Amino acid sequence: MPSQHQLRRRSAATTPLLLGLLLLTFVLVALGLGDRAIARMAAETLIRVTMVVGFWIFVGNSGVVSFGHAAFGCIGAYVSAWLTLNPAMKAALLPGLPEGLAAADWPVLPAAIAGGLAAAVIALLTGAAILRLSGIAASIATFAFLAMVNTIWANWTPVTGGTSSVVGLDRYITPWVALGWAFAAILVAALHAHSASGLALRATREDEVAAAASGIDRYRHRLLAYTLSGFFCGIGGALMGHFIGVINPDGFYLGLTFLMLAMLVIGGVGSLSGAVVGVLALSIAVEGLVRLEKGIAVGATTFALPPGSQEIILAVAMILILIFRPAGLMAGREVMLPARWVARRGT
Amino acid sequence: MVLALEQVGVAFGGFRALTDVTLSVAPGQVVGLIGPNGAGKTTCVNVLTGFQRPTHGKVILQGREVSGLAAHEMRRAGVARTFQAGRLFGGLDVLDNLACTGVGLGLRRSVAEHEASALLNWMGMAALESRAAAGLPYTDERRVAIARALMGKPRFLLLDEPAAGMSEAEAADLAALIGRIAAELGVGCLLIEHNVGLVLSVCTQVVVLDGGRIIEKGDREAILGSRAVREAYLGTYAEAA
Ligand SMILES: Nc1ncnc2c1ncn2[C@@H]1O[C@H](COP(=O)(O)OP(=O)(O)OP(=O)(O)O)[C@@H](O)[C@H]1O
Ligand SMILES: [Mg+2]
Repeated sequence: MPSQHQLRRRSAATTPLLLGLLLLTFVLVALGLGDRAIARMAAETLIRVTMVVGFWIFVGNSGVVSFGHAAFGCIGAYVSAWLTLNPAMKAALLPGLPEGLAAADWPVLPAAIAGGLAAAVIALLTGAAILRLSGIAASIATFAFLAMVNTIWANWTPVTGGTSSVVGLDRYITPWVALGWAFAAILVAALHAHSASGLALRATREDEVAAAASGIDRYRHRLLAYTLSGFFCGIGGALMGHFIGVINPDGFYLGLTFLMLAMLVIGGVGSLSGAVVGVLALSIAVEGLVRLEKGIAVGATTFALPPGSQEIILAVAMILILIFRPAGLMAGREVMLPARWVARRGT
Repeated sequence: MVLALEQVGVAFGGFRALTDVTLSVAPGQVVGLIGPNGAGKTTCVNVLTGFQRPTHGKVILQGREVSGLAAHEMRRAGVARTFQAGRLFGGLDVLDNLACTGVGLGLRRSVAEHEASALLNWMGMAALESRAAAGLPYTDERRVAIARALMGKPRFLLLDEPAAGMSEAEAADLAALIGRIAAELGVGCLLIEHNVGLVLSVCTQVVVLDGGRIIEKGDREAILGSRAVREAYLGTYAEAA
């Protein structure tokens, strides 16, 4: 007879599938409404799911807050742009690109993967330096990393285009493409969380000292999670670039960092489901706010929020959640099939 | 092949927590470490497990100097410990608490869980397997901490006040368990305890610390007969009683 523990493990295996179904439903409803703006919102939301789930792989399991993950998005976006932009255009816009990149004319999928891999390599290298630090010091170091990447990107004009935007990215991101990547991120995040390394990392989050006494090498497990996490944030950045068609270093700076943190905090950093739910809840709320900012006509009068109130309302929502529901909407729980269903299927 | 401190000194700034401490534990042996509050007992365990670098002297494991190893490396080398404060992984269930040590030692998760299950069984705690660690009663918490430390068959186990807060009967059960760990698993144990009766009942060898120095060392009779011990430790204990 399986123990309670084993049943719980089996139930937990249903989490990525249920989250996938939730996102699938979201896409079907969004497309079913037949509104182009809503379909775009759906694609953007799923790109954010990819990024925030990537972000969660590190933050959720290690308990170390990172302010640096938007920089991985930046790296992913630019690498994908360098590899896919029309070479003639690159010669004009980015004259400093090394020959290999200048001539590259890659298909979009390998370019996105290369963007993710480049971000993962940078995560591995910077993580090797940063992740020996304990909690708050590591967080501050990730923030310094973000500032560093932003400064390099804003000033290395011949290669990055500097603060002027790089334009002309192939806009191939449909809600379906974004859904595919979001699901891949969820699947990898769940596999990692269930792995030996994921368990070891959560032990260090619960109690660093006891984890060391259990033989756990905190640094190694943190570094693995940070690298995986960098990969999906890099992918998310690449998707975002090809979604909008225009990229700029400031698109991957404080605004995105704040948005990712807010989504994770509101959904709840304690579970993968929290990361996904946080993105959905906030994206839907933001869409509503944007519409209010544009104004809703009721009879002869138009009600409109002053522009910029979106950010303020997000910040207020985050603070309220921190005060009244500090563990977030999901409060550390995962969506999963009840143990008895899984048990019946298992026997 | 033993675990030993050789003339170890530890200084925190100008304060000398340990001075010239030499002691050793052999496989299958239970050594008691007693002494008043602040005597340096926990500091000894910290030095033996890589949590504290000695300022002077050496830590020796199986004839090799291991003074520079990190805490997780000491655990992998076979030196396990528990903490005065319990320190379970509160958000995980009991089985996962044990499995954490398994994966820390390099096992696959399923193998770690399998071993954890068997170990809980051996300790008569199979029923606790799926309980959240955070809500456990005090005595169970202590026993789970011991089980977690026993994963992967360490060669040495250092117990920091495992019976604190236990009733007489519970402490007696614990003494029996420690005896089994030494006899059946061949693990060398170092037992820190304020309950002197418990220490004298399970330990073949007792070391008494006071003010960071060893003031007595020997078997039960030697400790009971020692004037220095009576003055430094048993005296205060008797007065309090
Ligand atoms: N990290 C540290 N920094 C400074 N002083 C310390 C540190 N750790 C321990 N001490 C001091 O060293 C002395 C010995 O402490 P230790 O914890 O080893 O005592 P103990 O014998 O375990 O006492 P108790 O029975 O209260 O647990 C105490 O005076 C303590 O205040
Ligand atoms: Mg102590």
